[in-house]
Amino acid sequence: MANRVELAVGMAREAGIAPARVGGAQGVLHALGWFAGRQPLGAIGGLIVLALIATAIFAPQLAPHGAKDAAFTQYLPPSAEFPMGTDQLGRDVLSRVVWGARLSLYVGVVSVAFGITLGALWGIVTAYFGGVADGASQRVVDVVMALPPVVLALSLMAALGQSVNNVIFALAILLTPTAARTLRSVALSIKETPYVEAARAAGCSHWRIIFRHVLPNTLATYIVLFTVNIAYAIVVEAALSFLGLGAPPDEPSWGGMLTAGTQAMETAPWMIFFPGLAISLTVFGLNLLGDAIRDLTDPRLRGGLG
Amino acid sequence: MRKSLILSLTVFLLVGLSASGAAAQEKPRYGGILNWYDYADPGRLDIHAESPLSVQQALAGIYSGLLHYDPDDPTKIIGDLAESRTVSPDSKTYTFHLRKGVKWHDGQPFSAADVKATFDRVLNPNFQSPRCGSMLKPMVASVEVVDAHTVQFQLKFPAAPFISAVASAWCRVAAKHILEKYGDLTKPEAQIGTGPFKFKRYERGSVIEWEKNKDYFIPGLPYLDGVKQFILTGVPTQLAAAKAGRIMLWDTWPPMKKTQADELRNARGDEVRIYQASINTIFLIYMHTQKPPFNNPDMRRAVNLAIDRQELVAKTLEGAGLPCAMLDPRLVGDFALPLLEVNKLPGCRQPKDLDIAEAKRLVEKHYPNGVDIEAAVRSVGGYIDRAQLVLAQLRKIGIRGTLKTYESAAGFSVYGKGDFTFISTQDRAMVTADPGDVFALVYATGAGSNWGKWSDPKVDELTERGLKEPNVEKRKQIYHELQRYLLTQDTTAVVAGWVEGWFFQDKRVRNYQASPTIYDHSTFMKVWLAQ
Repeated sequence: MANRVELAVGMAREAGIAPARVGGAQGVLHALGWFAGRQPLGAIGGLIVLALIATAIFAPQLAPHGAKDAAFTQYLPPSAEFPMGTDQLGRDVLSRVVWGARLSLYVGVVSVAFGITLGALWGIVTAYFGGVADGASQRVVDVVMALPPVVLALSLMAALGQSVNNVIFALAILLTPTAARTLRSVALSIKETPYVEAARAAGCSHWRIIFRHVLPNTLATYIVLFTVNIAYAIVVEAALSFLGLGAPPDEPSWGGMLTAGTQAMETAPWMIFFPGLAISLTVFGLNLLGDAIRDLTDPRLRGGLG
Repeated sequence: MRKSLILSLTVFLLVGLSASGAAAQEKPRYGGILNWYDYADPGRLDIHAESPLSVQQALAGIYSGLLHYDPDDPTKIIGDLAESRTVSPDSKTYTFHLRKGVKWHDGQPFSAADVKATFDRVLNPNFQSPRCGSMLKPMVASVEVVDAHTVQFQLKFPAAPFISAVASAWCRVAAKHILEKYGDLTKPEAQIGTGPFKFKRYERGSVIEWEKNKDYFIPGLPYLDGVKQFILTGVPTQLAAAKAGRIMLWDTWPPMKKTQADELRNARGDEVRIYQASINTIFLIYMHTQKPPFNNPDMRRAVNLAIDRQELVAKTLEGAGLPCAMLDPRLVGDFALPLLEVNKLPGCRQPKDLDIAEAKRLVEKHYPNGVDIEAAVRSVGGYIDRAQLVLAQLRKIGIRGTLKTYESAAGFSVYGKGDFTFISTQDRAMVTADPGDVFALVYATGAGSNWGKWSDPKVDELTERGLKEPNVEKRKQIYHELQRYLLTQDTTAVVAGWVEGWFFQDKRVRNYQASPTIYDHSTFMKVWLAQ
């Protein structure tokens, strides 16, 4: 996360409005302080996301019990021993929420990394070469984007079967066209810039121009897309699991926990409250951070670099 | 046997399911649509070839049987299409005298030829009939037409459960001309019966509708204009529909848990009658005996020892069930092995420490690092919860399961083909309340629900002896021996327990009587709706 913030700050620094470079850990702190001052909401988002990442990484240490251990009494309300209560099988809800962070983040990051990267390459390459291939590929994008995303994801999951990897694949398919469309439009303007003209005049190959001159300059858009879509992927994963077509039911997924909670909403409302809160907080944090990065990198927005 | 069976059924009905005496005195009202639900999309509708309850429910009011459970007193079996029956002195020939003037829903006349066509189909050795066929094939030698309104069944031996098998809703009579026209009964257009309702509409995954058969052979019936079954998958959806008053009856599988019944009571108050009842259904865990790792008897034995039935019943059925019971004493009386004895058997006894240690030793003997398996489950009712708990229990002995979920009909298809290693939970409802049912349906070689392809000569021999034995006491001994053997052996299907649960009836629904099996109480021929 800090790397992404640094990147944004670096871009700002190049534009002459970021703080001067200071070395080492002090530099990171300095940059974070600058970011927090400039984008306080983004900083809150960043903290939430950091907490999510820490929870995911340290799940085995943080979870008081096994996520699948049905060793306790059912429907125990929140207490000192079980801060989020127990579920319909006597599992600790806190432990499942903690392990669920790992699953959500894993699905979110990996699917977005695949989907956005693939879409970015697709959009940039077709924009650069243009012509019939570009037109045809954009019609493919039109077709995929015309399908309602959750329906498309449900259909893919119904065809592929329930597994975490299939959820990632389905989400990547959903995200690819959006990234292709967005990055294509950025690449179209970059390819007309003087430095690309100059590279072309200097005899650089097409691929060298794409990977050395066009692609690095789409990075800001890529980062914003990446951040915002992780939240989207987490919500869609939760929706798929809620509908019984996401991660296998015994995996501690937040969406799956919500489904289980609907069986006893009045008796054990904590079963839906805490996973629901986890989803909301995560999406809130990722969106705040994504918006802040977008604001910093978009010269047209107030508070940005322009 | 018959006496104890009737006594048990009477208790069963008194405890949970009898309609109020006051309601019986009221003058029935004509009209109205009964809103009901089916727990899954039935898919193929062939009543003789399929086994899911969803199929039976979809067609319950469409067909008539030779016999059926009396809608006014379901402890009795009475004539339906058969006006009367006689039995030969050696109890091997049953003659059924059929009603005259009965018409199929398409206007064609009903005759003995239809009965013969139906039972010849069901008894055909090459025809897979997991319910009716499984019950009748071992008993019936032939079916012959005596005249247009008389049909005769020749039995291989005097079989005690014959009458209850013929009365089963799975043995209802189909039209010869329809079987000839369509080849099977799979499609909606082939649903031509003689029952109180006609099959009106089937919208896949959404709704099934019946309409009143105005030419029904019992004058004045049915009272309802029709029945609408919403296809509602998953208990939360079913519960939401019940709380919103969208359905009027929850009389069948899956039962509600106590928590859900309490929520419904809070939502509907006095508008509904909520009751606890048994549904003649056994909760099983299957292993495929011809596929690793469960082709190894030690592994099957390990699972049998490790499964904590008491925890499964306590948590997934919220206590509504009989852990380890292979037969339900409330339904079959003392044919069931006494629970005191059952609960001392390895695998069933508490505490579990010794059994889990032994199960772990058995698994480690063959898989020192544990073993990974794929655990199938149909995503209906409360199966997902049950499956998760079963896997949690097996993890303690080194069997690590990953759940693979199936939509209802797809799951049955996979099970029927034997395309699984482990089925983490599956209920099997008995076709009749006869104590021999579970053995003939689940454990005998080639039985309709013996999906794990298990074969044990001793079980086959005892099952057959039980079927043929006319002496009640001797029959009881045979079934006790079978239960002891199956509960402690490395079988294909581990018994978790006998399922009970909570149900409700909207108080506007009158004259509804539940039968001893969940397959038999839904013709609605005498049900009516109060204002």
